[in-house]
Amino acid sequence: MRWTLLVVVAVLALVASVVLGPAAVPLPELLHSDIVWDLRAPRALLAFLVGGSLGVAGAGLQALVRNPLADPFLLGLSGGAGLGAVLAIALHLSGPWALPIAAFVGALAALGLVYRLGLIGGTGRGGALDPRILLLGGVAIGAFAAAITTAIVALADAAELRNAFLWLWGGLSGASWDSVLLVVLYVPIPLAVLLAASRPLDLLALGEESAGYLGADVEAVKRRVYLAASLLTAVAVAVSGVIGFVGLVVPHLVRITWGHRHRALLPAAFLGGGALLAFADTLARTVVAPRELPVGVVTALIGVPVFALLLRRWTIA
Amino acid sequence: MLRRLLFVVLVLASCRPSGRPAVGPPRRIVSLLPSFTEILFAIGAGDRVVGRTKWCDYPPAALAVPSVGEGLPPNVEAVAARHPDLVVLYNAGPNVTAAEQLERIGIRTVLIDLNRLEDLGPATRTLGRLTGFAARAESLAAFLDSLSHQPPPSSTTSTTLAFVVWDNPPIIIGHGSYLDELATAAGARNVFRDITAPSAQVSLETIAARNPQWIAVLSDSGMPSLPGFAKRREWRAVRAVRDGHFLMVPGSLFGRPGPRSGEAIRQLRALLAR
Amino acid sequence: MLRLAGVSYRYPGASRDALSAVSLSVGPREFHAVLGPNGSGKTTLVRIALGALQPLVGRADVDGRSASSWPRHDLARLVGVVPQREDNLFPQRVRETVLLGRYPHLTLWGRERAEDHAAVDRALASCDAQHLADRWLWTLSGGEYQRVRVARALAQEPKLLVLDEPGMSLDLRHEMGLFELVRGLVEMNGLGVLMITHDLNLAARFADSLLLLEGGRPVAAGAPAEVLTQATVETVFSWPVAMQTVDGLPQMIPLRQPKESHP
Repeated sequence: MRWTLLVVVAVLALVASVVLGPAAVPLPELLHSDIVWDLRAPRALLAFLVGGSLGVAGAGLQALVRNPLADPFLLGLSGGAGLGAVLAIALHLSGPWALPIAAFVGALAALGLVYRLGLIGGTGRGGALDPRILLLGGVAIGAFAAAITTAIVALADAAELRNAFLWLWGGLSGASWDSVLLVVLYVPIPLAVLLAASRPLDLLALGEESAGYLGADVEAVKRRVYLAASLLTAVAVAVSGVIGFVGLVVPHLVRITWGHRHRALLPAAFLGGGALLAFADTLARTVVAPRELPVGVVTALIGVPVFALLLRRWTIA
Repeated sequence: MLRRLLFVVLVLASCRPSGRPAVGPPRRIVSLLPSFTEILFAIGAGDRVVGRTKWCDYPPAALAVPSVGEGLPPNVEAVAARHPDLVVLYNAGPNVTAAEQLERIGIRTVLIDLNRLEDLGPATRTLGRLTGFAARAESLAAFLDSLSHQPPPSSTTSTTLAFVVWDNPPIIIGHGSYLDELATAAGARNVFRDITAPSAQVSLETIAARNPQWIAVLSDSGMPSLPGFAKRREWRAVRAVRDGHFLMVPGSLFGRPGPRSGEAIRQLRALLAR
Repeated sequence: MLRLAGVSYRYPGASRDALSAVSLSVGPREFHAVLGPNGSGKTTLVRIALGALQPLVGRADVDGRSASSWPRHDLARLVGVVPQREDNLFPQRVRETVLLGRYPHLTLWGRERAEDHAAVDRALASCDAQHLADRWLWTLSGGEYQRVRVARALAQEPKLLVLDEPGMSLDLRHEMGLFELVRGLVEMNGLGVLMITHDLNLAARFADSLLLLEGGRPVAAGAPAEVLTQATVETVFSWPVAMQTVDGLPQMIPLRQPKESHP
């Protein structure tokens, strides 16, 4: 019953994304409109895929670091992506894909650094991954990258660099069938890895030692979940900038109805995150039309009150 | 005894020489906006300019003047090192603070507004008055005033355009910007005239729906003939992008109001006539 | 089933061995208790026995295979562990948490089957905790929660049960209940049990065999009557005791230290 409801909500969000928008497209013309097919449809799908990926990554990460406050963007990836993007602009790298690729590479570089920091006892199979260090390292590397980025923007001559910060605030303006195809080909593997880790993630809630005694290969699971969640976040940042709160709030919302079993939680987080971001993007495009709000602003404006409500619920329970 | 001597020395040291000239117009001017530099040279006060920003590149004679770095906000020490008796600044938040700092060390400063075409006349007159070249300033000011008195573009016959400043997210120029005025003066209609802000983020579908005939992009001289986003698939939903109808306008000429605004309008008109 | 032979271990950077030449063997229907003062290496012994740590000297085998070479998944079908500390992050019901014990029996993508739920019911029944099945964990008392954890370990349907100080922070009634439960599992279900405990008296009453450690070294091993002598206990625990016999088994009574006389 609740699954039906979730699927209906997701479909509604997608339909609304396609039907509503600042450009007035009358319903009868919907199927023939270039705007709908070339702009709104890919944008709606991209929003759904990115939102879903962030929701799943957030749920996986919260289980991995055993902290309900974890958000995919705590991993330092957004700082790395921003730095990559700004460098691409500052170095005048050309090509329509220069910015997303540079952002992706920057995110991966940050991922590598944080991963290395998080490994205690040396690299290779001998090293154990400490989730607390992942969190702290992520914050540190992210702040470091953000500082370098700001320095570059402050010192450089190009005024366009300041516009790079607008990109970083999150936007699905770059959505096209090309980017949808890219994401559709990319995300199944990390999503599958996370889904396969559902049971070990359930066990991890008891603590690493207990999880090991109940049969989880804890080190392998930590590595896989961290990498999969990071890869999902990296592609999300590369195609749409930093969209906060989706990865943080959606898992909590979904847990209210689906509980903590990740076998159900992860797919529900995907649908919920997708619906949320599609809906937020529709708002971003229509609320101040003809102008547009950055999507990251809309998700924060929705996410913060929702989060506050959730916190109240916890303290009452 | 020694203490009294020390006291006298301290009092003397705290007296600063006044930067205000006793008589006559200023002879050592630092200009902190390229447009002011252009105006000063145009009204004949060019040889009084002893400091400019690094962006002041016109007229060529200005390049011989030493640069003091950025203009917004300026490096106060670099400006002071030129020993000016007048500093002209663009009136904006960070510069207000800089002006206060300069005044505190005894340097006379003037903050002038220059955001739109209609500010050009008054700015020119102010600079003329300050430098004693009021007569030459007046004739230039009169010409510049005439530029801003143009009829609004007809919504049926004018060529339509949109200025795209950034592609992801799409940022366009609105009615509050100087570029919008240039378009009007050149006889074109900015499809985003209804947005009062100087610039705003819009959805790509809005640009596609409003279907401007031309997409104007500010470019530097070394840039290619098409902007980077021309090849992006989602931008091809805009007809002007599909047809390659781009107006690449030089940033140094179009980026700011100045004495060459008339030249800018002429160039834009010629581009539109193609 | 579980065999440690001449095991020694030192933590990296430590100045002395945590375990030194320890041997232990636990078979089915045997209840072994490991005792010793704080820092005597008891928890280290459990970790080595379960393959979480590898001994520097000697061997630790489960069912004839080196403990650390066992895949975690397979080992969990054989050995159920109730560790000292558990930090459950998310709220759960009793039935859900006991169901986690079935995970070693589930395939990667398979769902829980009827037999899994039956195993959970059996485990809860063995621990006399069926009435708690639908309660939220946070509403349980310490004793009830401990029983639930034992039930979870039983849901794994192990042949060997390892408990690390399970009686800590339990009151008299619940601690006795726990020891009775474990003894019952040994006798009725044929489990082998390895338990670390502070409680010498209960260990003596319920366990078949004791191992007394001091500073990582085995001081005495064997039947309770042989291990718990006044001399041994006083030496290892540095405290004067008197020994009594209850049900034919030694019980130690700690004595009060005489006060320093002030002139």
